[in-house]
Amino acid sequence: MEAFFDRILSGDMIAVALFMIGLYGLIARRNIVKTIICVGVMEMGIILFFLTIHAKPDAKPPIGEVARAADPIPQALMITAIVIGVAVTAVALVMFIELYHKYGTTNWKKARQMRREEN
Amino acid sequence: MLYLLLLVPIAIGICFYIFSFKQVRILALGLQSIVFAFTLYIFLHVSGLETPLTEAIGNWGPLSIQLYCDRVVSVFLMLTAMLFLSFFTFVQRKDYFNRLFIFLFATLQSLIMLIFLSADLFNIFVAVEISTVICGILIMYKHDSRSLYDGLVYLMTNIVGMLFFLLGIGFLYRHFGTLNIYQMAAYMRDASGKDVLLPFAFIMTGVGLKCALMPVFSWLPKAHGTPGAPSIVSAVLSALYVKGGIYLFLRMRDMFAPAIEMDGFFLAMGIITGMAGWIIAVSQKDIKLILAYHTISQLGLILIGISLGGASQWGAVYHIVNHAVFKSLLFLGAGMIVDTYHTRNIYKIRGVFRTMPVVSIATMAAILGITGAPLFNGSISKYLIQSGEINRAAEIAILLINGGTILSFVKYSHIFFGNPEEPVVSSIPIIQKGVVIGLGVLCLAGGVWGTGFIRLLFGYAPNISPLSYVWKCLIWIVSLALGYILYTMVLTKWNKIHQGFSIELTFNQICASIAGLFAVLLAYGWLTAA
Repeated sequence: MEAFFDRILSGDMIAVALFMIGLYGLIARRNIVKTIICVGVMEMGIILFFLTIHAKPDAKPPIGEVARAADPIPQALMITAIVIGVAVTAVALVMFIELYHKYGTTNWKKARQMRREEN
Repeated sequence: MLYLLLLVPIAIGICFYIFSFKQVRILALGLQSIVFAFTLYIFLHVSGLETPLTEAIGNWGPLSIQLYCDRVVSVFLMLTAMLFLSFFTFVQRKDYFNRLFIFLFATLQSLIMLIFLSADLFNIFVAVEISTVICGILIMYKHDSRSLYDGLVYLMTNIVGMLFFLLGIGFLYRHFGTLNIYQMAAYMRDASGKDVLLPFAFIMTGVGLKCALMPVFSWLPKAHGTPGAPSIVSAVLSALYVKGGIYLFLRMRDMFAPAIEMDGFFLAMGIITGMAGWIIAVSQKDIKLILAYHTISQLGLILIGISLGGASQWGAVYHIVNHAVFKSLLFLGAGMIVDTYHTRNIYKIRGVFRTMPVVSIATMAAILGITGAPLFNGSISKYLIQSGEINRAAEIAILLINGGTILSFVKYSHIFFGNPEEPVVSSIPIIQKGVVIGLGVLCLAGGVWGTGFIRLLFGYAPNISPLSYVWKCLIWIVSLALGYILYTMVLTKWNKIHQGFSIELTFNQICASIAGLFAVLLAYGWLTAA
C-alpha cells in the first residue's frame, strides 16, 4: 500500500495532475483572469515535472565540484521558463486590463458577443 | 557566424529604440539589405558544402545550444530576409512605422530565423514563445478594441499550445537525456513506439496548433484577419510566421519517424484542413478574412505533401516558399485596397482595376499563383505534390481543394470589375507599387523557371513531364470554368453566403478542441503503435 502511495504521490505524477487541472480550468471556466491563473498552474506543473527529472533524494546542488550532483540542465531550463512565464503573464494581464476598459467584462463569452456586435 | 544573423537585428533594433535617429527608417532599410546579403552568402556557402553547417553557441560541448543549417534552412532564411526587406520598403511612408515598430519587427525577424535554425528543442520553445508575445503586441498595434480581443485569444491559445510542447520536451529529455533534435532522431531508432507516444502526442498537439490543423485553427483567422492590425503585420504572420510552425512539423515528423509514424493520420487531417479552409473562406465577406481562411486551406495542402513523402515533400517545401510570396502580395494588395475604399466588405469594393491598375495586375498574378494557374509558381509546387506515391482518394481531395480555391478566388476577383459605388481617389506611393510588382514578377518567375529554381535552391531535380503538365493545365482550365459557373449560377443565389457565416469558437471551446486533438493523437497512436 505504501509503495502504491509513493508511486502516486511522486513529483512527476503530481506535475501531470497539475497540468491537467490547469487544462480543466481552461476548458471549464469563462473568467479571463481565471484563464490566466490556469495557464500559471499548468506552468507550475511543467516546472515541477522538469525538476523531478533524474532527481535523487540525496543529490546535491550542481555548484562547483560536488559528488552526486543533480542534473543541472532541467534547472537551467526552468529558470528560463519561469522568466518567460512571468513575462507572458504580465503581457496577458496588460492585454486583459485594456480589454476590460473597452468592454467592461471578464467573461470570454460576453467579450466575444461584444466583439461580434462591433463588426 | 550563424549567431550573428540572430543577434544583429535585435541589437540594432534596440539601438534604434533607445537612441532615436532622424533617419531611422532609411537606416532600418539599410540593415535589412545587409541581413539579406548575409543570408545570400550563407546560402552560397551551405550549398557548396557536402554536410550541413552546424554551430555550437558557448563552448560547453554537448550541453551547448546547437544551430543547424542545411540547404532547405538556408533557403528559408533567404526567404525571410527577402520578404522582410520588401516589407520594410513597403512601410517607409506609413505613419505607424516608428522606432517601436522597427524594434518589434526586427526582433520578430530574428526569432523566425531562430525557429528555422535551432537544433535545440528548448531553444525552439523559447523562440516560439517570445515571438508569440511579439505577434500578440503587433496584432493590437493600432489599439482597435476588436484587435484587443483577437490578440488576447491569439496569445492565450498559442501559449497553451506551447505548454503542451514544453511538457513533451520534458518527457523526451527524461527518456533520452538530450535536447538536440538530430541526436534524438538517432536515439529514436532504439525506442519503441509506445515509449515515445506520450511526448509525441504532447509535441504534435503544440505543433499542430501552430500549423492550424482543422479542430484547432480558430485562432488563425482572428489573428491574421483582424481589422486593427496593419496589413503588413497580417502579411508577416500569414506568409512567414506560420511557416515556422509548418517547418517545425516537418522536423518533428522526421525526428519521430524511426519510432512512431502517423503519416496516414496527418494526411487525413491535411485533407480535412484544406477542405474546411476554402469552404469557410467562400462564405466570408471580409476581404482580409477570406485571405486568412485561404492560409488554412494552403497549410492543409502543404501538410498533405509532407505526409506523402518523396517528391511530394519537395513539392510541399517549394509550396511553402511560393505561398509566402503570393500570400504576402495578396495581403499587401488587400491592405492598399482597404485603405483606398475605406471598407472591408467585398461586395462593396468594385472597379479596382480602373482605380488601381498596378496593384490589380500584381494581385492577379498572386491569384493565378495561389490557384495553380499554368506558368505561375503555384502550378509547379502543386504538380509536385501530386506527383509522389499518391492514392486515388488523396488525388481527388487535392483537386477538390484546388477547385475550391479557384471558386473562392472567382468571388474575390469580382472586386476588379464594375464601377465603384462612390468615386474613390487612389494615392499609392510609387515605392509600394514597386514592391507589389516585384513580388508579382516573382510569382511568374517561380512558375516559368520553376524546375530551375528548385534545382538551384534545394539541389533536387524535379521530374516534370510536359505531357502531364499540359494535362494538369487543362484540369485547371476546366476547374476555372466549373468554379465560375458554380459561383454565378448557384452561390450568388444563395442568400446565406452574403451574410457571411463563420465557425467562431469561444476560448473555452478552443481549449477543449486542443485537449480533443491531444486525446485523438494519443488514442490513434496507442492503437497503431507497435
